[in-house]
Amino acid sequence: MNKTNTLSIPQKKHWLKQSPSKYFEIFLCIVLFSFIVVPLITMLTKIDKDTFSRVFSDDLFLESLLNSFTTTIAATIISVVLAYALAWAISRTNIKFKTIFSVIFTLPMLIPSISHGMGLTILFGNNGIFTRFFNTSSHLYGFSGIVMGSVLYSFPVAFLMFVDIFKYEDYTPYEAAEILGIPKHRQFSSITFPYIRKPLISIIFTVFTMIITDYGIPLSVGGKTKTLSVLLYENTVGQLDYSAGALIGTFLLLPAVAAFLFDLFNKDKAKSSFITKEYIPTKNKVKDTFGYIISAFVSLFILTVIVSFCLQAFSTSYPSNMSFTFSHIKRALNKASIGYLDNSIFISLFTAFVGMIVTFLTAYYTARVKSKTSKFLHIISMISLAIPGLVLGLSFVITFKTSFIYGTLVILILANTIHFFASPYLMTYNALNKLNENLESTGQVLGIPKYRIIFDVIVPQCKHTLLEVFSYFFINSMMTISAVSFLATRSTKPLSLMINQFEAFNMMECAAVIALMILIVNSIMKLIIYLIKRKGEKYVNKKSI
Amino acid sequence: MEKNNKNNIKETKTDKIESVQETKKVKLSIENITKTFNSKTVVDNVSFDVYDGEFLSILGPSGCGKTTLLRILIGLIKPDGGTILKKGKDITNTKISKRGMGIVFQNYALFENMTVLQNVEYALIVNKTPKVIARKRALTLLKKMHLREFENKKPYELSGGQQQRVAIARTLALKPDIILFDEPMSALDVSTRLELCQELKRVQKEFKTTMIYITHDQEEAFTLSDRIMVMEVSKISQIGTPVEILKNPANDYIKSFVCDNLTNKINNLKHFVELSNEQN
Ligand SMILES: Nc1ncnc2c1ncn2[C@@H]1O[C@H](COP(=O)(O)OP(=O)(O)OP(=O)(O)O)[C@@H](O)[C@H]1O
Ligand SMILES: [Mg+2]
Repeated sequence: MNKTNTLSIPQKKHWLKQSPSKYFEIFLCIVLFSFIVVPLITMLTKIDKDTFSRVFSDDLFLESLLNSFTTTIAATIISVVLAYALAWAISRTNIKFKTIFSVIFTLPMLIPSISHGMGLTILFGNNGIFTRFFNTSSHLYGFSGIVMGSVLYSFPVAFLMFVDIFKYEDYTPYEAAEILGIPKHRQFSSITFPYIRKPLISIIFTVFTMIITDYGIPLSVGGKTKTLSVLLYENTVGQLDYSAGALIGTFLLLPAVAAFLFDLFNKDKAKSSFITKEYIPTKNKVKDTFGYIISAFVSLFILTVIVSFCLQAFSTSYPSNMSFTFSHIKRALNKASIGYLDNSIFISLFTAFVGMIVTFLTAYYTARVKSKTSKFLHIISMISLAIPGLVLGLSFVITFKTSFIYGTLVILILANTIHFFASPYLMTYNALNKLNENLESTGQVLGIPKYRIIFDVIVPQCKHTLLEVFSYFFINSMMTISAVSFLATRSTKPLSLMINQFEAFNMMECAAVIALMILIVNSIMKLIIYLIKRKGEKYVNKKSI
Repeated sequence: MEKNNKNNIKETKTDKIESVQETKKVKLSIENITKTFNSKTVVDNVSFDVYDGEFLSILGPSGCGKTTLLRILIGLIKPDGGTILKKGKDITNTKISKRGMGIVFQNYALFENMTVLQNVEYALIVNKTPKVIARKRALTLLKKMHLREFENKKPYELSGGQQQRVAIARTLALKPDIILFDEPMSALDVSTRLELCQELKRVQKEFKTTMIYITHDQEEAFTLSDRIMVMEVSKISQIGTPVEILKNPANDYIKSFVCDNLTNKINNLKHFVELSNEQN
């Protein structure tokens, strides 16, 4: 055989001769960079020098900082323990009505944080149902109120995360422990705890960040106890002191940055471990009874809050005159709330569509087109995880105040998309990563254009994830009061912000109506997604028979 | 291609055609292929020929560059240098789908959202084959691969071996004259492997395709192949028929890890057979 030495060396492509797909990836990088990193940097550069001395020398700042930490730590501990107990009851006992319980546990995720504070006010406030019933004075406002509200607001998220962890826990080590006769309490310390340690830290960080950056609850039930987030809210929305706001915002950014760095340096190495045996709860009366009690108690509490909204919304003058009326609803709607409902639904639908598409495209590049650019894209996406809504809103105001998008619905949709980007991004990233890595190669060999592989093979396989992503963006946009509070104008205001307004004027009935409206819209969205998913499953089952 | 197929049918009817190898027509000619990843040379100036209709196994330790070489052949990876000739024509820069090659991956890479039938006919339909013809061709292939009863099932309802059959049928749909396999059996149990191996030989005879087959398993390589190519880190150390390699291993590595390993296995088996005979 004569082997000639003609080397046909393909040159490295000149950057101008890249494929359209590469251009689009770079475009995505630029867009995400401009809306995530640039505003953040702009905000940080806007802190004046004298702001430091002004803010730090203010006693209120130190007091708020302390309050923020004490309330957040207390609420985080209770929230995580409660969530663990509930997730355990759902995943590790044989109680009935698990689905119903789970739905009730996650109901608080469908309404704005401020409405939890409102619910507590209705129950335990100065004029609250229980306060009057027991004829005592209210101890709600302050530390206890903030902690209670924060637990109510954050535990569902932790609950869902724990359920997920329990679901993927392998039963085999427990079986082995049974055979070896290792006692139950030792099983927890030697099997369960090592397994949940890493995700537990993630959950604690998530809950901590959620609580410390929320201003809705301390604003409504904090009373004289101010937290950093309230301080930030008042400084900026109230006094338009953006420099002080930016400095306080930096403090709120820190816990999330810590969480972000922790996650970055603790890559889950045991990710590929798969369950060899699903956990089957053993029959145990004591466990089941405990499961029932805690599930029933928490469900009752959540439902009481929601029922209290209804009482407030539908009785003439709660609690003196309990006769049924539509007048509050009319009044709430008269305040142009219908227009705000339209705004909200428009914003949420748009955010859901835009968010779903941007999320999918970004995750597609980072999960399936491995390159330097896609690594960069991944890092930018993860950064958005660390930015609390309040800080994001503030950075958007500071950066885009003079631009043409300010004061339009566009900036609200943009802010929401960025604000809620990280979780759906990670969900989609994981889903895409799980798909066979050779699908695109197979397509290339079979002469199938890439876009067809994406639409005919990859999208259908991530259908459920994409539906989840859509509903996540929608629901959160419906209920958010953080970033949007800086960016909404009179005409672009979403419905959720009406609660702030009604609360400020002590119009609890109207605020309750709004909370219910948001709850209903979000429940409908949940139901629709559920039905679509179920239909898909039925279809699959039918086909397989 | 159509003509090719007709020939095949004729030949299978006349049966007992002598090994195509006799003619030794060169199908693929690989010349000085080199590939470097982050300054690590994974395929180093590799040259070899593949004969028309032969079954060539590539045997070698993990990480020696087998997959990379295979992906270069089909065009999924661009080589840094070197040429690939198919029947004398330079295809180094030819579009992947125009090379007339197919590939079967270890993890099947089936389209999970489609039925078995759709998996096989999808590429035909996308490539503008009329629907009726595509369906007919897909059904014929499914029948040949003993998959007719599963045509409306989704891949996840099938066993590993069945899924691999679907992957092979899908590849055959576009009538490639060369099929590449990247450890297609390594996820399967032994009996399924044996069965599929025989199936592969049958497919090869019937469709007269050239097959290039990566494997870790010496037995598999020696029983299936017309020729075996042994690779060590980024280079070819020997290429020849199983008998040639057993008789004249090119170096100590091949002698100990390929030949001796195999002989030991056979001896062990023999030993067991003798033992059990004695006991009887
Ligand atoms: N895209 C890539 N980027 C960087 N290095 C790579 C890439 N692909 C392969 N390599 C490296 O090239 C070497 C050869 O890889 P290859 O997959 O070709 O080996 P292999 O012989 O198929 O191994 P195995 O038997 O384990 O499949 C390995 O060291 C691998 O880490
Ligand atoms: Mg390989």
